[in-house]
Amino acid sequence: MSEQQDLFTAVANMWKGFRVTFRQMRKPRVTTQYPKEFREKPQRFHGRHVLNRYDDGMEKCIGCELCAGVCPAKCIYVRGADNPIDDPVSPGERYGYVYEINMLRCIFCALCVEACPTEAITMTHLFEMSTTNRQDAIYTKDELLVQPDGTPNHMFDEDHLADFGELAAADGWMRATSPQGRADFSGVPGWTPSAGVGLRPAEQGQSGTEPEGEDA
Amino acid sequence: MVTITIDGTEVQVPAGELLIKAAEDSGTYIPRFCWHRRMNPVGMCRMCLVEVEGPRGIMLTPSCTMPVNDGMVVHTKSPTVEKAQEGVLEFLLLNHPLDCPVCDKGGECPLQDQTLSHGPGESRMVEEKRHYEKPIPISDLVLLDRERCILCARCVRFSEEISGDPLIEFMDRGNAAEVNTFPDEPFASYFSGNTVQICPVGALTASAYRFRARPWDLREVASVNPLTTTGDGVTVQASQNEVLRFLGVDNDATNHGWLDDRSRFGFEWIASPDRLATPLAKSGDGHTEVSWGEALGAAAENLSAVIEAHGPGAVAAIGGARGTNEDAYALASFMRSSVGSPNLDARLDDGLGTHLLSSLAGKGEIGDLETARTVLVWAADLKEEHPVLYLRVRRAAQELGATLITVHPTATGLADRATHTVTYRPGEGHDLLDRLRAGSGDLADVRAALDEGPVVAIVGRTGLAEDPALAEAVTAFARDLPQASVLPVVRRANTYGAIDMGVAPDLLPGRVAAGGDAGHTGWEKADTSVGLDTRGILEAAADGRVKALLLVGADPLRDVPDADLAARALDAVDVVISIDCFLTDSTAKADIVLPALGFTEKEGTVTNLEGRVMKVNRIVSGPGQARADWSIIDDLAARMGRPLGFESAEAISLAIAEHAPAYGGITWFLLDWKERDGVVAPRDGVEQPLQYIPTTSLRAVGSGGAKRGGFALHLGRLLYDDAVLTRQGASIADLAPGAYAVLNPTDADRIGANGHVEVDGHRLPLRRDASLAEGTVAVPFNQPDGPPLGGSSHVDVAPGAGA
Repeated sequence: MSEQQDLFTAVANMWKGFRVTFRQMRKPRVTTQYPKEFREKPQRFHGRHVLNRYDDGMEKCIGCELCAGVCPAKCIYVRGADNPIDDPVSPGERYGYVYEINMLRCIFCALCVEACPTEAITMTHLFEMSTTNRQDAIYTKDELLVQPDGTPNHMFDEDHLADFGELAAADGWMRATSPQGRADFSGVPGWTPSAGVGLRPAEQGQSGTEPEGEDA
Repeated sequence: MVTITIDGTEVQVPAGELLIKAAEDSGTYIPRFCWHRRMNPVGMCRMCLVEVEGPRGIMLTPSCTMPVNDGMVVHTKSPTVEKAQEGVLEFLLLNHPLDCPVCDKGGECPLQDQTLSHGPGESRMVEEKRHYEKPIPISDLVLLDRERCILCARCVRFSEEISGDPLIEFMDRGNAAEVNTFPDEPFASYFSGNTVQICPVGALTASAYRFRARPWDLREVASVNPLTTTGDGVTVQASQNEVLRFLGVDNDATNHGWLDDRSRFGFEWIASPDRLATPLAKSGDGHTEVSWGEALGAAAENLSAVIEAHGPGAVAAIGGARGTNEDAYALASFMRSSVGSPNLDARLDDGLGTHLLSSLAGKGEIGDLETARTVLVWAADLKEEHPVLYLRVRRAAQELGATLITVHPTATGLADRATHTVTYRPGEGHDLLDRLRAGSGDLADVRAALDEGPVVAIVGRTGLAEDPALAEAVTAFARDLPQASVLPVVRRANTYGAIDMGVAPDLLPGRVAAGGDAGHTGWEKADTSVGLDTRGILEAAADGRVKALLLVGADPLRDVPDADLAARALDAVDVVISIDCFLTDSTAKADIVLPALGFTEKEGTVTNLEGRVMKVNRIVSGPGQARADWSIIDDLAARMGRPLGFESAEAISLAIAEHAPAYGGITWFLLDWKERDGVVAPRDGVEQPLQYIPTTSLRAVGSGGAKRGGFALHLGRLLYDDAVLTRQGASIADLAPGAYAVLNPTDADRIGANGHVEVDGHRLPLRRDASLAEGTVAVPFNQPDGPPLGGSSHVDVAPGAGA
């Protein structure tokens, strides 16, 4: 094999290798400068939970423990209590007086969101949950319950790491199914208004049929 | 037996059985709401509709009201039946609020379950459902939510048929029909908790369990009610290491699934913040926390010093009835073998003779009530002291047609079902018995009824001022009645087990009389003579003959009728060592206090009033450093240089099976796996050494000391009193009515009493009861702020000042 042939082979192989590189150089970059920039997350991103409030500031959670019962990772601990009549916490007889989620155990499957009968627990786009000790990974009502105006609490609000523009996206439209899972209810909002968000429009296209005249 | 065909399968069922029961027993579950195994059928909910082939073709029939016939052909899963079930459920759900997420029944609700399995899936009801105020408290323990009620009448029927206090009823009609209590009359039944358990929806809920947990949080274990001697089967449910609920288990031999409210809601002491968690040693007026080593070392040193200086007889033990049989066996071994003293007693001077309680020849069983033709109750008011036995006696009289005779100083809770209610003045029981035996005068009818067997006699001390020998005489009389079975009853928890284990001055473990042959005990060196009973111990302590007192779950200052004697005794002794769950009045005087585990915190066996041995189980860990009684006693013995060598509660149970003759062959394995309802000791083929036969000639002088006044004292217990475990349960602590005095109206008028009376100088509110024997004053024992009256059998009664 001559030297010329060797050189040719080498250049050809270099071209083969760099071809991908050169092709990519002409395309737009996908790397975002997180945490300076935020990528837009998918609509149904399973981020951190929040506990919502009604328009009037009442807590939606009634402490029924269905979320804890359905949780496959057994990371939720709830205890209900009698709702004080003079100073009610939620509209019903019962409210959740202990609500804890161990974020180290949570697998972000959103079964709790599906189980919740009052849309009290939903998932947000918040995803920054690193802590320096295990105790901080257990979120209590202090962290989970939204402010009376509907703004979720965030552990890093001092550091401005979160995109607070996304915090408004913290409501029940994140649910994985249409309200009753049935075509008849497509287009009918199956949830109650939340503080800071109001009544969100129903999701479309869940059941494969578009809403008909009167529903739309 | 008849043959019927259910869904194409031929089965043999008892003739006359209800179809729903016959089907369930042969493996076909028919959905139902109103029908309950222990109550009469009513056919209200229509959920149990099945198709029965008859001469007029196939017809939908409620299976709960249809007795089986030979050759009956039944379809329980046909399309017609399924359509009927869907229709019934759609109707039942018309007004049901579906607030399952906030309902305590949610997750264990028959309506939920059957809607899922048999329901239509959706409702055509679009109108507004009816609304009521919710929930309304209908008693201190029960809440009523009328929206959820499906009108099955289980609670109504329970209070009419089973508990006999019909305080909850239907009102109004049609769409407005609702279940409720009578105006201004709370659902103040001793058995109200049962309606919560049998309610097939969340209409009746317990305030003690309100929103405490959901069913899927709960762990559960089968056990035995620790507060009564009837051996009621219970399921103990706990979450997060806290006991939250007791449910009655349908034990055929004992409680039929029922519990009284004190037992059902009386578990709250387990998690009381007042529980002792560390050993305490006396310092000055109070106690300081010390380590187990220090506490046991000091206790062993004190006991050894007393034994050395005054002999082993100067050490005495009171109590042991609050623990398991294993604890009691360890205590008996410790006292008789390690210490070498025969002075120990599980009774607190409120019981009957130990031989009568444990070793009566031919002792009856509770189940005998099912076949009895005549029931004689000459004991304390069963409703107050033995609530579940009360229900069984009530059933015998009301549902099974037995003739019921009650003998008591006053009319008892059974009065409305008793054929003969005989009252007598306390102290005159022996004369009454003589007259009854002769059948003289107005007792001729009673005597005639007693001659119709089978007879069940429930015998006990009618009151704490009553002579305990009377019960022996009554037993002797009752034993000779035709086909008689006699049940001697006392109230406190595991008294029978403790006595069977030898925590008695005149018995050795396994129903062997003390003072005789003791070869079986396996103790190398022991005093097996007859020692002092509780009264004897306290008197000896007050006289300075007993120098050291070991209290094992006993509070003599409150529990012994003669509180004055107990106080003198506790003040006089040199050393008091207490093993207890709480710092009670007596424990507060102890030099060393050792914290003990309670029920639900340890495994073991208990024995009920029939002699039935049952297993209790552990579900929560105890507070702090608390230990099981047997382990404390074992450690104490080892530190005194006289080890017992017990390694575990189960090892002790094997020792019991070996060394306690009447308990031969009764092991945990047997109770856990084969005899879940318990087994009556002795088992078949096992000899019981002591066969006690009481004689009628016994006629002791009343135990109650001096006759101080003109009125005979009737000192009975009420269900709710000021006992330590009741006091520590938040739900039931306030239910004790407080002290009062009852007089016959004739007597009250004679002395001119009105409003209040002075009983031996203690001012008490006066109640009038015409059924109380004349010349008698009745005062409930151990009520909050009650007077110490136990020291005498007769008292002075004067009209209260300022009445």
